[in-house]
Amino acid sequence: MTAAELLRCCRRILADFNDAQRESLVSLTRLEVQELENIFALLLLGSFVGLPAPPGFLSVELLPFMEREIRVLHRRAEDAGDMLAEIAGTLGID
Amino acid sequence: MKAVFFTGKGGVGKSTLAAAAAWQLSRSERVLAVSLDPAHNLGDVFGVALDDRETRFTATLHLREVDVKKRARDYLARETRILSETYGYLRTLNLDRCFSILEYSPGIEEHALLTSIEKTLREANAFDTIIFDTPPTGLTLRFLALPEITLTWIERLTAIRRQILDKRHTIQRIRGPREGGGASPEIRLAYDEGEDDILKRLRVLSDNYAALRRTLQGEACRVVAVFNPDLLSLRESERLIGGLRDLRLPLSLLIANKVTEENRATAERVTSALKRQAGRDVPVAAVALNRAFGLGGDTPLYDIAEDLTAHFKSGGNLHV
Repeated sequence: MTAAELLRCCRRILADFNDAQRESLVSLTRLEVQELENIFALLLLGSFVGLPAPPGFLSVELLPFMEREIRVLHRRAEDAGDMLAEIAGTLGID
Repeated sequence: MKAVFFTGKGGVGKSTLAAAAAWQLSRSERVLAVSLDPAHNLGDVFGVALDDRETRFTATLHLREVDVKKRARDYLARETRILSETYGYLRTLNLDRCFSILEYSPGIEEHALLTSIEKTLREANAFDTIIFDTPPTGLTLRFLALPEITLTWIERLTAIRRQILDKRHTIQRIRGPREGGGASPEIRLAYDEGEDDILKRLRVLSDNYAALRRTLQGEACRVVAVFNPDLLSLRESERLIGGLRDLRLPLSLLIANKVTEENRATAERVTSALKRQAGRDVPVAAVALNRAFGLGGDTPLYDIAEDLTAHFKSGGNLHV
């Protein structure tokens, strides 16, 4: 292995390590964003599940732009049974 | 332009006194009388058939009965159209039919009433005074409270939305630019406040409601409470005055209606109790019960002997 190849290999390892570190940093924030999106949708459309809701027209006004939030809400509802495992996974707890 | 809201318990004579005030004011200025009560009787007081359009009663007095159901339907039709445009692929399904159920949702009626007040104030520039005959206390307080409640909700939702965008931005910054266009869904999502549709819509709504709240709480908006000299009317008027104070909509006139020789003592007791609650500087007017009305005399209902105009002449102007 030439010196140039070794250098390239080292650079690649460092770059991948950098990416992995960034992804691990992002994963918690990403979970937070999804939770916030879930809360946003739940507050706005809570009347669907029996929660006190804002004035009806406010939900109707924002409904056309809520596709992603509704999807997140749906996914969260499906994962709700195993939220502890998900949080443990994100925080790296074995 | 000034706006005067006639409020009070059902059956105390709001419509009659609103009509009387409109009639008296129309001798010296241009007046529009609008009924917001779903059980309209403004037309009955004037002896004409009214609908959602302005009807000319005299050169200076125009009348209208707001069709709340139609307003709700128009509003929902507009929202359904936006929904269909957003979800174009669903156009083949009958969305209109699905959304028609929203007409019966709580809150839509109040929203429709509030929208029609806002629209009237915005469009009726040809008039000096607009007189609103409102529904009974409960519904009136609910729709007058709507801007305040809605603004609180919008404020909280905007804060959460900002947090979401802020975190999306953080993710985007940490991840940095990706090679080969392999952007994850988070990167493609809007993180700039100017790009997010929900935040943009929340801002528009917030501006509209803040403007309406300013108008309602402004100098040119007057609230008149009509009551009868009896205990039930007193209790409901007390709740009304308390509710208006919570909404920061100051009362500008109390009218004791249907006062007779027999109930004058009760009228005075009720009036002083309400005056204590409303504040010493709120003027009081008393309107006598005209027995000829009940007997079907020739005098039109809106033609009362007492002059109500003096209380509405001063004050600021609306800037909508």
